[in-house]
Amino acid sequence: MRMFGKAGKAAAVAAIAALALTACGRTDSGSSSSTAGGEAFPKDSLIGVALPQKTSENWVLAEKLFNDGLTGAGFKADVQFANGGVSEQQNQISAMVTKGAKVIIVGAIDGAQLGTQLKQAKDSGATVIAYDRLLLNTENVDYYVAYDNFKVGVLQGQALLDGMKAKKPSGPYNIELFAGSPDDANAKVFFDGAMSVLKPKIDDGTLKVVSGQTSFEQAVTQGWKAENAQRRADTLLTGSYGTASLDGVLSPNDTLARAVLTSVKAAGKPLPVVTGQDSEVESVKSIMAGEQYSTINKDTRKLVEHAITMVKDLQAGKQLEINDKDSYNNGVKTVPAFLLPPQIVTKENVKTAYVDDPVLGPITK
Amino acid sequence: MNALKKLFGGNTRQFGMIFALVALIVFFQIFTEGRTLTPGNVINLFNGNSYILILAIGMVLVIIAGHIDLSVGSVAAFVGVFVALAMRDWGFPWWVGVLFGLFLGAVIGAWQGFWVAYVGIPAFIVTLAGMLLFRGFNQFVGKSNTIPVPKEFQFIGSGYLPEVGPNTGFNNLTLLIGLVAVAFVIIMSLRARAAAKALGAEVPELWVEVTKLVLICGAILYATYLFATGRPGTSFPIPGLILAVLVLIYGFIADKTVLGRHVYAVGGNRHAAELSGVQSKKVNFMVMMNMSILAGLAGMIFVARSTASGPFDGVGWELDAIAAVFIGGAAVTGGVGTVIGSIVGGLVMAVLNNGLQLLGVGADLTQIIKGLVLLAAVAFDVYNKSQGKRSITGMLMKNFQRNNEIKPDEATSTKEVISKEA
Amino acid sequence: MTSLDTQGDPILLEMRSITKEFPGVKALSNVSLRVMAGEIHAICGENGAGKSTLMKVLSGVYPYGSYTGDIVYQAKTQQFKDIRASEAAGIVIIHQELALIPELSIMENIFLGNEPTKWGVIDWAEARKRSLELLARVGLRDDPDTPIKEIGVGKQQLVEIAKALNKSVRLLILDEPTAALNESDSQHLLDLILGLKGKGITSIIISHKLNEIEQIADEITIIRDGKSIETLNVKRDGVDEDRIIKGMVGRTLESRFPDHEPKIGEVFFEVKDWTVGHPQIQDRLVCKGSNFYVRRGEIVGFAGLMGAGRTELARSLFGHSYGRFIKGQVYKDGKPVNLRSVKQAIDAGLGYVTEDRKSLGLNLLDDIKTTTVAAALDKISNYSVVDTRKEFSVAEEYRKSLRTKTPSVEEGVAKLSGGNQQKVVLAKWMFTDPDLLILDEPTRGIDVGAKYEIYGIIQRLANQGKGVIVISSELPELLGLSDRIYTIFEGAITGVLDKNEADQESLMKLMTSARKTA
Repeated sequence: MRMFGKAGKAAAVAAIAALALTACGRTDSGSSSSTAGGEAFPKDSLIGVALPQKTSENWVLAEKLFNDGLTGAGFKADVQFANGGVSEQQNQISAMVTKGAKVIIVGAIDGAQLGTQLKQAKDSGATVIAYDRLLLNTENVDYYVAYDNFKVGVLQGQALLDGMKAKKPSGPYNIELFAGSPDDANAKVFFDGAMSVLKPKIDDGTLKVVSGQTSFEQAVTQGWKAENAQRRADTLLTGSYGTASLDGVLSPNDTLARAVLTSVKAAGKPLPVVTGQDSEVESVKSIMAGEQYSTINKDTRKLVEHAITMVKDLQAGKQLEINDKDSYNNGVKTVPAFLLPPQIVTKENVKTAYVDDPVLGPITK
Repeated sequence: MNALKKLFGGNTRQFGMIFALVALIVFFQIFTEGRTLTPGNVINLFNGNSYILILAIGMVLVIIAGHIDLSVGSVAAFVGVFVALAMRDWGFPWWVGVLFGLFLGAVIGAWQGFWVAYVGIPAFIVTLAGMLLFRGFNQFVGKSNTIPVPKEFQFIGSGYLPEVGPNTGFNNLTLLIGLVAVAFVIIMSLRARAAAKALGAEVPELWVEVTKLVLICGAILYATYLFATGRPGTSFPIPGLILAVLVLIYGFIADKTVLGRHVYAVGGNRHAAELSGVQSKKVNFMVMMNMSILAGLAGMIFVARSTASGPFDGVGWELDAIAAVFIGGAAVTGGVGTVIGSIVGGLVMAVLNNGLQLLGVGADLTQIIKGLVLLAAVAFDVYNKSQGKRSITGMLMKNFQRNNEIKPDEATSTKEVISKEA
Repeated sequence: MTSLDTQGDPILLEMRSITKEFPGVKALSNVSLRVMAGEIHAICGENGAGKSTLMKVLSGVYPYGSYTGDIVYQAKTQQFKDIRASEAAGIVIIHQELALIPELSIMENIFLGNEPTKWGVIDWAEARKRSLELLARVGLRDDPDTPIKEIGVGKQQLVEIAKALNKSVRLLILDEPTAALNESDSQHLLDLILGLKGKGITSIIISHKLNEIEQIADEITIIRDGKSIETLNVKRDGVDEDRIIKGMVGRTLESRFPDHEPKIGEVFFEVKDWTVGHPQIQDRLVCKGSNFYVRRGEIVGFAGLMGAGRTELARSLFGHSYGRFIKGQVYKDGKPVNLRSVKQAIDAGLGYVTEDRKSLGLNLLDDIKTTTVAAALDKISNYSVVDTRKEFSVAEEYRKSLRTKTPSVEEGVAKLSGGNQQKVVLAKWMFTDPDLLILDEPTRGIDVGAKYEIYGIIQRLANQGKGVIVISSELPELLGLSDRIYTIFEGAITGVLDKNEADQESLMKLMTSARKTA
């Protein structure tokens, strides 16, 4: 109050009002190039890709692939990581809309918190594609492209059973359950997928969760952090496995799988069957060495490739290829989806699974 | 009752928190049906939390001096990944890696210390910038990959004391350490008592001293027993050993050296310290640099324990360290706090985490409980302090107070002065 | 504004048999006080006698129920449960530590807690209008938007009174109102209080400045050891300072200064052409080419008005702790010395007891023994490790020799009275064994008895052959202590008077005018 005086205050109010109005207003997303007949938007349009945090190998790879693939196809690409969290991602999507992106591909940090920005996008005439993670509670999403995450969970559950059976022909088997971070929507999907296979076996006594921790809330690993999984594994081992032996561990991804294995090794216990996901380099090596049992190959290249195909089809005005019209109800509408099949990789097929992968190919020859 | 007060009262503010720690341990021991105080679990406690406790040692000095350091997690992660990379790609042997990591920590600390001490930017801002800066560097250097580290290096994070000597059924080295610790405590106590008597200062009654000694030595011996009877091949873990050595060194420095006095002086009243000849800029610089060195060490120990560096390392560690320090009795305004208090504070959080995990409490509920416990612990301590130097039992026994009350000003009676001169 | 209490009763306030206890100590024991409407009533007593406690009972800081006895105000027995209640009745207390917020403006401070509002929004126009009125009444012409930190202590005190006037005060209580003021501001304040009396506002003043009390009080109540001793009527009883002291102490103080035979030796400390610039303002100098010297065994006084530059001179000498050093030389025992840091100054044999012991002299978190050794830790440590035994014995030594009143040296300094805190600070510097000790306002806020002791300590230091510089705003103190007195005005030394040629007038002349070049 001291600093501005009356004139200053009026000016400040006016400035704030002006800012508010521009933020609420519709942005004109007109483009300057021309469109040929049948095309939805010009070939050199801007395509926005909003990715989550840059915290694992496959996302880093995705960034590169999107940039290369989109520019190779003649588009202008704007690929962003939102390390600062949900609010940064919201800002990034808004920026893409303002810059006039025709298609916005979203790998959401939290699929339920982007509603306002997605509406902005749709209002500007852009197409919204949910990438790997479903966008929830909004009608402003057009397509969903992902690996079938529920199937991932199912594959993990099945792999666990198969792996344990191979080591010890008959049960009962002692297992422990690990899940991802409670704030990641996919974590529940993986868990549910796995439990669809495992729960009947738990109920009929083939599988025994010695610690009794069978619920999702008990199994979660805050922030997907390896250190949290390692600590929980330490505690489970000393708490419940003094005399009992641990046959298998359901782990939703490779980072947590390796953390569990580290804990087991430090406790001097025999290695159980441990599942994983993401095909990280260290885990693939671990599988070849006979330690981690399985991982999932969700070749990022294929996923990105398909997303770009969708963009190209949209640009040309073609009908998009859809293979699932009913499963993915996001709370408001059922989103047409294209699901890619995830591949389970164990020691048996590790040598062939990554044949044309530039990084993993050489390692697994 | 008065005697009980004598037992706990006096200068030790952190007796309140030790009380809380013991209460928690007992609580969990009962409710987990004895799975808390098993050798395996106790070893896990140290393995899983040593790196946070090391951070707490550095952090308490920073907070006593009146600052704060938000960058420790990012610095730890950055040093961890850089060292892992250096060992893998440049072929550093493990011990060179360790030295490199400490050196890196020192460089980072000097950088932050410069801005805080000599340019005068508040530590909150400098280290907030550091938190972002070094998280970015971490991702830049590590490319979000995990980088495994060699077995020799893993020793500092997950190793144990070797088995030497005759087969006693225990880990002998651990027993030795425990016995030395007990002897040390007894000797120091006797010497302090003799010295105080010689000076004519107040000594607590003999039975009070003996009881205190019995309790402390009993606790040390019990802990030694737990560590020595773990699974063969385990003992008092190496990270725990590193932690113990650091606690002794830093506790000594803070309590008994000129440098330690200077840190408390700068934190308590910077201007008065400067006018008494303390070089506050040097003190601030050293305190910030020291923190980053310890952060580098903590990062390396963590990577050693995890057998590989990872992109999520260090996330949230600064808050854990700061919580440990404040639970341990430090003041937000600086000038107050102890090394041992911060360790106790850190252990309170660690035992809480561990106990809830043993009980299978879900992550959501665990967070709620931790938040409430943190609040309660600090509120309890603040209340204690606002009552002057009263102890917890003093609070319960208002009638029996003889010492330690709040008195209004003592006057210099002019009558006395004049009668003396006359 | 009425000139008589509305009920027409000449007795405005009567406190009857007030007893207040703290755990283990009786702070007030059957104290009675009677204040007539429209008078200025002074309360005198040593530190710890209970004056502030009595006022806290009256103003509601110690609420009804925490004391026994009655407060009868305006012929009604009052049961104040907090300050707001007493303020609502028209009793406003202005504490020794002013309750102003430095970053806010005069106007904002006056209306703090009492903002004029229109439908919940502060009406600053109204506030401004009223503040101008209030400021005029206390004689301030400053812009109400001026932040408090920019006006001097004297003016801040007046703002506090304006604040009280805003609360429609009938009984104004002032706790040591002129403690931090210079002569002219003090006089101005006293005149204001007399003026308020003329407007029907009754005042209670707690003060150590006996000359001022003598000047304006109508009645004086003396409190000693928590009991009310006597009430003197100034005119009727012909009261003067000595009479007041007699009441406070129980017998006459022959002299306020101990006897002292100065043993003065050679010049050992000399400052030449000392020039220092203001730390922020570029063109301003705070020390203008000052020259002075000190001899062994000599007590040198520095006299000057508030803001003249005495503290700036001392602090800039002591390790360049203030201002931008421009030029000047310091000689010790004839040889030039560098005093570029506090540590260098201490090593060169200087000590400096700061003006404000709480904010600059003490770490209030420490205990006595830690404070005592704080400036000379090297003397009690081996290889940087502090010898706590030596620390204890050193602290004990000083406790005994300075007669610091405390059960033990483990006590926290925050709990000591002002006089005892000052003794601990003195001990700290005496332990560094300086050759030259500079004392900045060493007896501010300290009662008569403790002052006497501190004078004795200063004289003992001189007897040991040390040089002592005393900076003080109390001319009688300087005249009683010093062997020579330098006067400072606006950063320049304007003169030096020997003990036998100095008196209040001659000093005041030199303190209030620039040096005549001749």
